Amino acid sequence: MLLGIDVGGTHTDAVALDTSGLGVKITASCKVSTNHDDLLSSITEALGIILKDIDQALIKQLNLSTTLSTNAIVQGKTEDVGLLVSAGPGIDPYSYQPCRDYHILEGSIDHRGNEIKALPMANVDQAIASCRENGVRVFAAVGKFSTRNPRHETQIRRAALQCKDENGRDAVDFVSMGHEQGGALNFPRRVGTAYFNCAVWRLYNGFASAVRRSLDDMGMSHVAVNMLKADGGTMPLEASRKIPVQSIFSGPAASVMGIIALCDVVHDSVILDIGGTTTDIAVFADGAPLVEREGITIGSHPTLVQALKVKSIGIGGDSAISVIGEEVRVGPNRLGPSVCLGGERLTLTDALNYTGACKLGDVEASRQSLIEFAEAHSMTPDKLAQTAVDYAATAIHRATYELVDAINSKPVYTIHELLENKRIVPRKVYIMGGPAEAMRQNLFDQFRLSTDVPPNYAVANAIGAALTRTTWELELFADTERHVMFIPSLSHRENIPTSYTEKDGEEDAINNLAAHLDQLGVFLRPEDAQITSSSSFNMIKGYNMVGRNIRVKCQVRPGVVRTMNS
Amino acid sequence: MLKADNTLGIIFFPAFDWAISPTHPEREERLLYTQDQLREEGLFDIEGIGEYKPEVAATEDIERVHFTFPETGAVITRSHLVSAGGAIRAARLIMEGERKKSFALVRPPGHHAMKVVHGSRGFCNINIEAIMLEWIREHYGPKRIAVIDTDCHHGDGTQDIYWHDPDTLFISLHQDGRTLYPGTGFPQDLGGPKALGRTLNVPLPPNTSDEGFLMALEHIVMPVLEDFKPDLIINSAGQDNHFTDPITNMNFSAQGYATLNKTLNPDIAVLEGGYSIQGALPYVNLGICLAMAGVDYSHVREPDYTPERWRQDKRTTAYIEQLCDTLPELYFNPPPFDGSEKSRQGIISGEWFIRHKDIYYDTDGISEAQIEMVYQCPKCRGLMKYETRSTNNPLCLGIEVPLGACNACRDLGYKLLEEAQIKGQYRYIQFINRRDKDYLRFGF
Repeated sequence: MLLGIDVGGTHTDAVALDTSGLGVKITASCKVSTNHDDLLSSITEALGIILKDIDQALIKQLNLSTTLSTNAIVQGKTEDVGLLVSAGPGIDPYSYQPCRDYHILEGSIDHRGNEIKALPMANVDQAIASCRENGVRVFAAVGKFSTRNPRHETQIRRAALQCKDENGRDAVDFVSMGHEQGGALNFPRRVGTAYFNCAVWRLYNGFASAVRRSLDDMGMSHVAVNMLKADGGTMPLEASRKIPVQSIFSGPAASVMGIIALCDVVHDSVILDIGGTTTDIAVFADGAPLVEREGITIGSHPTLVQALKVKSIGIGGDSAISVIGEEVRVGPNRLGPSVCLGGERLTLTDALNYTGACKLGDVEASRQSLIEFAEAHSMTPDKLAQTAVDYAATAIHRATYELVDAINSKPVYTIHELLENKRIVPRKVYIMGGPAEAMRQNLFDQFRLSTDVPPNYAVANAIGAALTRTTWELELFADTERHVMFIPSLSHRENIPTSYTEKDGEEDAINNLAAHLDQLGVFLRPEDAQITSSSSFNMIKGYNMVGRNIRVKCQVRPGVVRTMNS
Repeated sequence: MLKADNTLGIIFFPAFDWAISPTHPEREERLLYTQDQLREEGLFDIEGIGEYKPEVAATEDIERVHFTFPETGAVITRSHLVSAGGAIRAARLIMEGERKKSFALVRPPGHHAMKVVHGSRGFCNINIEAIMLEWIREHYGPKRIAVIDTDCHHGDGTQDIYWHDPDTLFISLHQDGRTLYPGTGFPQDLGGPKALGRTLNVPLPPNTSDEGFLMALEHIVMPVLEDFKPDLIINSAGQDNHFTDPITNMNFSAQGYATLNKTLNPDIAVLEGGYSIQGALPYVNLGICLAMAGVDYSHVREPDYTPERWRQDKRTTAYIEQLCDTLPELYFNPPPFDGSEKSRQGIISGEWFIRHKDIYYDTDGISEAQIEMVYQCPKCRGLMKYETRSTNNPLCLGIEVPLGACNACRDLGYKLLEEAQIKGQYRYIQFINRRDKDYLRFGF
């Protein structure tokens, strides 16, 4: 038995899934209101409902998607962080300062990982002392090119952890290092990611402990708990305590993973989640969701946090209809609920009620309101309703193809990729959300592709959460001239011989990924790990080869443990 | 978050799967560390800076510019189509108004490729700047364009292609040809009789540093540009003037390159040479990108850079001051074209300008003997004719009816083509009619 809970902005959805037989059976599901001041209470309430008739001993796992970290950041309820940075030459590091206690240290490491300038430890101690005067207890250490050589970050970390207060107790509770946030090269993003990771660390850990405690209280100590990430995967609760920033924006990922569980997506496809205020558009390549090339942006700070590629446009069931001159528009504003549900402004849902595409709430109220609105703008009601629905479908269609074009024009770096590059050509459209069924025909007219509205789409997000498997990504970097192999996200560094090759790198990457997941208690099937990119460059000095520069990226790609029908 | 003053499109294409040979400077690794540096700096996250994929140039884009023998497919590889396509993409971004400036960070380079191509010289097969310029003119009509070549080697290919074109100003700043490949590019080379002063060479002595470069820029290049009033400024941005470059002897720095681009303010930059792939390119490219985008670059510097160590001596400064005094005059008041039998710049014989060229293709080991002829038309730039043979090809012929040609020159072009086919002993003939966009090849 697998449980999935998605704590959303408005509702908390929960499901219990029986995976003992063939396929997946929904044993229980519920929807409760989210209590933003006490997310834990929403979770225990939902758990209470779905577990009413279920033997708790059968439950193996709980997957949880929460808005905790996201809300904390949006509402500014974060902790002060001491951010110590070793930047070296380049763009002025003050141009992406995220917080008050921001200290630039005069160390420098180059693109090969050579230390050009040692970290001045006296300045490090001064910086830490200055932060502590401001009451800071969590620190982030970030170096430029630290994913090549983390020396400066570990030095800062050690210095911070040695700090004691006047009573001889530890003065620093947590230090986050930049290279642990992922192996990608992007110093400003590393700074932002490490900062947010620290800023939500205490809050998140308090929440994680509370979740664990209440499960224990409910007699479910044996249940494994995983947290959803924005990239369409999960991470074990214990592992997530050091990287809480990874739990942000996991909501859209839960819905997308839900579609994978509900439908067997195999082709290049488009997923449309039409909500109240927005439509979320996601694109699948060969049945797999696409991950954003760079990480997500929090506030105005780009980060390394990986997310599924989802584009939102301001058109949903509650989007207001307006007429400007001759033109009928839908959205992007939501001005309260639809007329049929007691609202005052005419919405897309009201227009769909009028055309007969759906029958939601007080259909007659929709009709009356639309007729009056049409009269006021000297149009026939039929034309107004039809134009509004067409407008919405056209806008969704246009936005989808803009997204597909953007994906297809992403940069590549080899002639082979440029000339033989696979392009995404959607063959199928999956629609979910409130107005899904009602909009289906109109969207079909636009896309002219097979369109599908899966059953149970109302709790697809919770189903997605429940069935999502653990994902992990790592990057390996090897330099045979310097005799070093380094996996930044695992802080794993080892010496390698001159004869080390790209193939050794690929093996090491997969093995380390499997070993790491094993430590987290996750069994990795070899076929689930894949090398996403791998390259080896001969390094030449004069006219002689002096070594190889090897880069390997591997991942467990986002997926579900099983689909509803298999 | 940083925001760029000028929107900048960067066409970054390192061609990670192409090399001239495994240990050749022009190899897979060349832009690897540049990529690392640009990514690590978060350059593409700066608001207003975007990364683009190159286009793939078509054969017709090349055959609009070059006479290729025996045929285009034989003298290029797919990588050349991509780097030329990268330059075209850079131009398209500007011409369509999507970006204010663009930088084609592509390889392989092109500025040693001349009008006639039998193979590769100076690591270049086709001239990607010229292909870009003529793409612009083909699609957006006549334009006055200035190409400022800041590669350490003389841009002899670009000079050859635009020798007779009064609408293209070509200025090359390079290490003196008496001390470096290709051994050309002297002040007396000023262009053909109808384009005198439209080619300007600034040979700088070895060990010239930032000070000397920027002095030449300020006192020679900028006044000339101000007078020429180009519609577009292109920087042929070689990076081998750097103090760490393994095959040259200059002392330019990343700060110097950035300041050069800030002052020159080019619309488009195209990467040329530069083979200090670890010590120079990552920093120089970062500096150029930031300078073009109008973002502060004052913190960009090489790890081992100490300005005192690379400062030029007084004699060098004095020599460059002399150049600054004399060279602009060659643009403003070029000496009249000699054209007599004694002239080394070609002779006028009857109604034709004629010059003999012996060209060596160092990368491919090919020798070419060429006769370039331009009809001295009173109404237009004049019909151009190239007779060429090389160790790779028997006698071949190229005829070009240039942009803006008069009726007489066009008719003459077709007449010469017909005669060549009937009684000529040419193995391959290529005909370019830019005026009417008619492109023909014979002799497959």
